[in-house]
Amino acid sequence: MKRVRLPLLLLMLLLPLTSSCGFRDIDKRFFVIAMGIDQPSNGAKGFNVTLRLAVPSPKIEPGSGKNQVVSIQATSIAEAVRLLKAHVDKELDFGHCKVFMLGEGLARNNHTDMLRWLSRRRDVQSVAYMAIGHPDAKSILNIAPPDERYPGNTLFLMFGKDGTQSSYLVPVYVFDFIRRTEERGIDPVLPIIRAEGKSYVITRLALLDKTKLVETITPAQTETYSQIRNQDSKSTVAAVKDGDTMVINVDRISSHYKIVKANGEHVLRLHLRVSGIFEEAPLGIYEANWDKLEELFNEQIASEIEKLFKKVQHAGVDPFGFGLRYRATHAGSPQTWKDWERIYPNLKFDIHVRVKIDGTGLVK
Amino acid sequence: MNRYFYYNIVLVSLLNLMLFVPYLLIQHRYEGSIMSMACAAIVGSILALLFTHVMKTYPGKGLPEILTLFFPKFLAVPFMLGCAFMWLTAASIVLYTYSVLINRFFNPDTSSIIVLTFMACVCLYGATRSMFTVIVVMEVILVVCTPFILFVLFKAVRSPLLDWDAIRTVAHYWNRLPKVKPFASSLFVFTGYMNFFMFNRLNSPNFRIRFRWFIPVFGSLILITSFFVPIGFHGTDGSADYLYIWSVTSDSLVMSYGFIERVIFVFLLLYLMLSLMFATIGWHLAMELVKSCLPQPKKPVDPAKTPRSNWVIVCVFVVMTITYAYTFNEKQNLEITSYWIVLRACVEIASVLFLFALSLAGSGKRKRLET
Repeated sequence: MKRVRLPLLLLMLLLPLTSSCGFRDIDKRFFVIAMGIDQPSNGAKGFNVTLRLAVPSPKIEPGSGKNQVVSIQATSIAEAVRLLKAHVDKELDFGHCKVFMLGEGLARNNHTDMLRWLSRRRDVQSVAYMAIGHPDAKSILNIAPPDERYPGNTLFLMFGKDGTQSSYLVPVYVFDFIRRTEERGIDPVLPIIRAEGKSYVITRLALLDKTKLVETITPAQTETYSQIRNQDSKSTVAAVKDGDTMVINVDRISSHYKIVKANGEHVLRLHLRVSGIFEEAPLGIYEANWDKLEELFNEQIASEIEKLFKKVQHAGVDPFGFGLRYRATHAGSPQTWKDWERIYPNLKFDIHVRVKIDGTGLVK
Repeated sequence: MNRYFYYNIVLVSLLNLMLFVPYLLIQHRYEGSIMSMACAAIVGSILALLFTHVMKTYPGKGLPEILTLFFPKFLAVPFMLGCAFMWLTAASIVLYTYSVLINRFFNPDTSSIIVLTFMACVCLYGATRSMFTVIVVMEVILVVCTPFILFVLFKAVRSPLLDWDAIRTVAHYWNRLPKVKPFASSLFVFTGYMNFFMFNRLNSPNFRIRFRWFIPVFGSLILITSFFVPIGFHGTDGSADYLYIWSVTSDSLVMSYGFIERVIFVFLLLYLMLSLMFATIGWHLAMELVKSCLPQPKKPVDPAKTPRSNWVIVCVFVVMTITYAYTFNEKQNLEITSYWIVLRACVEIASVLFLFALSLAGSGKRKRLET
């Protein structure tokens, strides 16, 4: 006893200090599950910040998720959050905020101001998702899907890998978005959410440069982007033969690209290998010459990819990270980046697709 | 005792994140970090090997005992106090940095000084124990933590979001000349053996160190990971903006089915244990060095009763640490750490070469006696 007397005494002396720790019980907190940032509607300076708060509910059953949506306009995001604290009775907690949404208007204008808040806040998860709300973030956050088991679950399941895995949705984490806005050689992308009735639809991808949204691509191009960049195997490839659409469900996919110099000009050489079985095709495909079918797929997919690459190049953005690949394969010096800025607008594309048909499904 | 030697190496090399080593390396990523890391790996390993020769020559003798073989006390005391200062500052900087981290990521409402006080009390208790207890506790902590930390590192390297192009881009800057700051900070990763300046007292006379290749291999792996993985996650340009780069990097990992989704909390808890252990050892060694400057009869390695002098000396350390935290803010702490790490590298190189020279002289003396 004698030996522990001193430490015990010290510990007791420390106890009064804990009163200032500022700990709050869970029932005294409002968990923010999604945050939306818009431009003010009247053209004023600043931001219109919308928070979707989870209302605790004792039941977990479809439709029992309760939300409270609060919204305010202020000259800075931090100020808006402080002001919103005056609108609610519990402490706001961003620790569970998994979706940060930009209004399309703000994204088209300038998204960098928003990052000044997002990257500095200590309780913002680096693994939260980012998206663009169409037409604005507030109207998306106001939607409460009727079948939600707990607040925000629909959005979390859509973005995460646990629920639906759509090939038209490219999830983007906060840290990935920040990295792409800083990095020379790769530009940010964000999925676009729009409302449909009391639910959400995410099919298109927005391409941004370092400061603003410059282009959106179609759902089919979004799927192609996902196949090339993320080697997304939960996807399909399609081709048209004599007016009939044939669709292959992808089992394995791999994409490699490199930037080579041929005949004095730089060429991006992409190899995309896809294999899978038919999901939809006219009867009798089993008897057809598979080599010819594969050839058809190869040509049509390659031309689609080239169209996407040209579109991206024309928009002056680099969502695939070709520039970073160029930097990664050339000597380390500031000159390399200057060279790439000169090369990219005139970059040629050489696309090789190799589709391998594994089978035709259950019927011939 | 072999494994205790390597526990020290593992602990110190893992702790590099708390002393801003990745931060300093990433600041110089375009200006010679990689070459500095390579040089540090070579120099650090050579120093460690030289030091094992010292340990072999003087089994069971700590730094104070070796010095008294050659020098009168008034010459040995400043050297020992200098070394004590290095260990004390290492421990205190780690504690302060960690208390700020807790304030940032765990509980923003608590003042970091309060957190620091609590942590200092834990380390106060730990550091006053006997040398034998300290080294055994270290074994327990490392056996518990290291597998999880290696798991997190493995997860980071295997993550699909790790951008290998960014890593390759930075790797292309390998041909820049090394610089002092990145060199000194990477040298810290290889410095775990220095704890045996004092722990050598525990070694038996027939002690032999095996698996010496482990020092360069493990150190280099940890160094490469702590430099390149954050670059892979935050980009060649973005990674330089973060202060607590590894905390943010661990936040970029997800464990969907791991009870806690955000890896950062697991990671910070593991580093809490490691930081407390590191500070305990640092203060303990500094305390032993200070004690050996005082005039007193030789004490056994594992006394039954904690001497009062232990409490007094470590309490002074605690007060100094808290004063440091009061006096300097985050920015100054980072600045001081970056200069401290250079000073530390100089002290390390000088003292190890000095001791090696002594050990050569010592073995020469012994040979003359034998013939």
